[in-house]
Amino acid sequence: MSRIAGLLLLLNVLGWSAPVVAADDYARQLIAQARADNLADTRQWRALLHYRDNLLFPGVTGQADDSRFYLAAGGKTDPRAELDATIAAFFAPPIVETDMVQHPQCRFIARYQWLYEVLDFDAARLPPQPCERFRAWRAALNASALTLVFPSAYINNPSSMFGHTLLRVDAADQDQRTRLLGYAINYAVEPGGDNGGLFILKSLVGAYPGTFSLSPYYVKVKEYSDMENRDIWEYRLNFTQPEIDRLLMHAWELGPTRFDYYFFDENCAYHLLSLFEVARPSLQLTGRFRGWVIPVDTVRSLAEQEGILAEVVYRPANNTRLRERLTRLDAIERRAVDRLLEEESPDTVLQAVPAERQARLLEAAYALLRYEDGARSRGHADAARLSRRLLLARSRLPTGEDGDVAPAVPAPRPDQGHPTRRLAVSAGRDDGRDFQGLAFRPAYNDLLDPSGGYTEGAQINFLDVALRHEQGRGHLSVEKLTLVDIYSLAPRDGFFKPVSWKINTGFARTRLNDDERIAVYRTNGGAGLALGNWNRAVVYGFMEGTFDVGGELESNYALGIGPSAGLFFHPYPAWKLNLYARWQDYPLGDRHREHEINLEQSVSLNRRHALRLALSNGRERDVEYTTASVAWHWYF
Amino acid sequence: MKNKLIIAALVTLSPLGAAMAAPNNVGCGVGAIIFEGQTGVAPQVLAVTTNGTLGNQTFGITSGTLGCAKDGVVANPVKVSLFLDTNLDKLAYDMAVGQGETLESLANLIGVDSAHKAAFFAATKSNFAEIVSSEQADTQDVIAGLNRVLAQNGELAQYARLV
Repeated sequence: MSRIAGLLLLLNVLGWSAPVVAADDYARQLIAQARADNLADTRQWRALLHYRDNLLFPGVTGQADDSRFYLAAGGKTDPRAELDATIAAFFAPPIVETDMVQHPQCRFIARYQWLYEVLDFDAARLPPQPCERFRAWRAALNASALTLVFPSAYINNPSSMFGHTLLRVDAADQDQRTRLLGYAINYAVEPGGDNGGLFILKSLVGAYPGTFSLSPYYVKVKEYSDMENRDIWEYRLNFTQPEIDRLLMHAWELGPTRFDYYFFDENCAYHLLSLFEVARPSLQLTGRFRGWVIPVDTVRSLAEQEGILAEVVYRPANNTRLRERLTRLDAIERRAVDRLLEEESPDTVLQAVPAERQARLLEAAYALLRYEDGARSRGHADAARLSRRLLLARSRLPTGEDGDVAPAVPAPRPDQGHPTRRLAVSAGRDDGRDFQGLAFRPAYNDLLDPSGGYTEGAQINFLDVALRHEQGRGHLSVEKLTLVDIYSLAPRDGFFKPVSWKINTGFARTRLNDDERIAVYRTNGGAGLALGNWNRAVVYGFMEGTFDVGGELESNYALGIGPSAGLFFHPYPAWKLNLYARWQDYPLGDRHREHEINLEQSVSLNRRHALRLALSNGRERDVEYTTASVAWHWYF
Repeated sequence: MKNKLIIAALVTLSPLGAAMAAPNNVGCGVGAIIFEGQTGVAPQVLAVTTNGTLGNQTFGITSGTLGCAKDGVVANPVKVSLFLDTNLDKLAYDMAVGQGETLESLANLIGVDSAHKAAFFAATKSNFAEIVSSEQADTQDVIAGLNRVLAQNGELAQYARLV
């Protein structure tokens, strides 16, 4: 009881004078009741304060890294003290609300509302505060629905390479055609000028403060769909009005609160799940994720909840729409578009074009022009003048049918793709010796994993570890330990000219002589070009370099360079083949040569199970080898 | 464009930015010229959020709404101009075609009654040349053009003062 007395004394000192004695008594009574009811141990209190069980020791720790979020001195680790302090704080005298300060009842309005309901506050003895700022905010949002927004993975930006999630608040006076006007609640980090690698390293240890922000959804659409060219998936969710109100109250509490950002676990996706848990305490979402949280997995975990999905809307990125427009033009029409872009008069160019196709050509020319302008391959002033001219011509033609240039909705959706964790059991024969293997990859997707739900050609393997047991050798050995392996294979066509690239680093094995495969730390990367179409075949060529470090290498290192080429073939949706050859010449350090030819195939049984077959023949130093293996992959 | 982005970035980094921001249309948002290129440095600027520098109890906001939002929500008088700032070229496209979500959203922001929407779309299409009066038109030019076109239209004149 002395702690309560102390809290109340503190509030007295802060200028609380009027009916102090009566309020003291009521505060004591509420605190006693909260203790008797064990409210500090309830799921809702834990969710509101973001407490999680400690990994090793008993007890909990709050995840907010912000002393203003916990009212008790030890509130970050003491839910009971925090509850006492919260109730006591609600008795603070009324204040004039400003941008800088709110009454505790308003600043922590979700806590207030919950305790108000479970403890049945007496308004006469604990007067409710008006909370005008919160009320104005809630009225402006006018929320009637919640939508989980998933901009798909963007391999060229490390903070988004696993995708991202944010929450859209849909207003009552909006419909499917005006969703741009909703507001997005976004948890993100501000890495300043740090680049990709440094960003990942620092965010592994929570060196960046993450914060929640609120912005019009159209700002987010511009960022993701128009600038980064990421397709966006919008999962409209079934939440009741009281649940939505609860979530917004809690979002209000989180708005100014700092949560340190951790790349793998306390990231955007994790924090959004915790919002949903406050909205509906029966949802158990965050508990499933220990160690790492991949956005698409959180989308899946939510989508799998009974009855929660109301509707899924696909919002293709700018480039996706442009690509679709261009594929629907025949050769003559493509030529007409080229002429429009060469600034021939639209009237002249369109003379020979049937009336119903004229609008499509002008639209395609405009879209392509905007893309070119965005890519800065044309003078800015020229582009602006031509843009207006094309649109002016378009405005003189009839509106036409909506949606006849809309790309088809990809199936399956991201939440219906394969889970990102993978366990593999394999057996094979390496140069005449049988072996068994066991491999685990916590994340995320490679080129041969079951198709659908992921960006084609974007491979990211994280912490891929493989163990091997070889016949005639008693022990288990680490075959490889890949820290990160990123492969961006992006086919070029008549309009889009992306560069493909790869980078991977980790422990690998190399053949020193017939008997010995030694471990080296290998970093390999390269750039190249790809042509083709993911539904059929993609051919690619790279120039790559390899840097090996190892105590058993001559001079302790080997630096090599050489070409590689391959064919990716996709004869059926469930069957993929990758045939490739590599040459590497190591003129520095441990001087030697390597070449190999590989055929890898995968047959997906469903989104959780797949078989892999791999054949490899090559030469490292003076060792020729042939390897064959079969593996079963389980995604979970 | 580049200078503007640098200014936007400076404003964002300045803790005084929010406090000094004007309460009305003038000075709100970055300001935009139609048909400007959209990729490049802009993504970083747009993605930057500002929060907590003043210790104020509010949401972080994207720099695009800096000084124009209270607790993260865009203030009423600048809703249209901020929306146009971000969506000018998409709006131009929708107006020329005669439909689309950017145009629908603008109609919603102005409060165009569903009975008048078809007329609104037709008017912005047939008067495209006046609304997007040059390839250098900026947000204020488009607003002015829109107001003129609406004011001259018997059915839509009631919306002219709302833009």
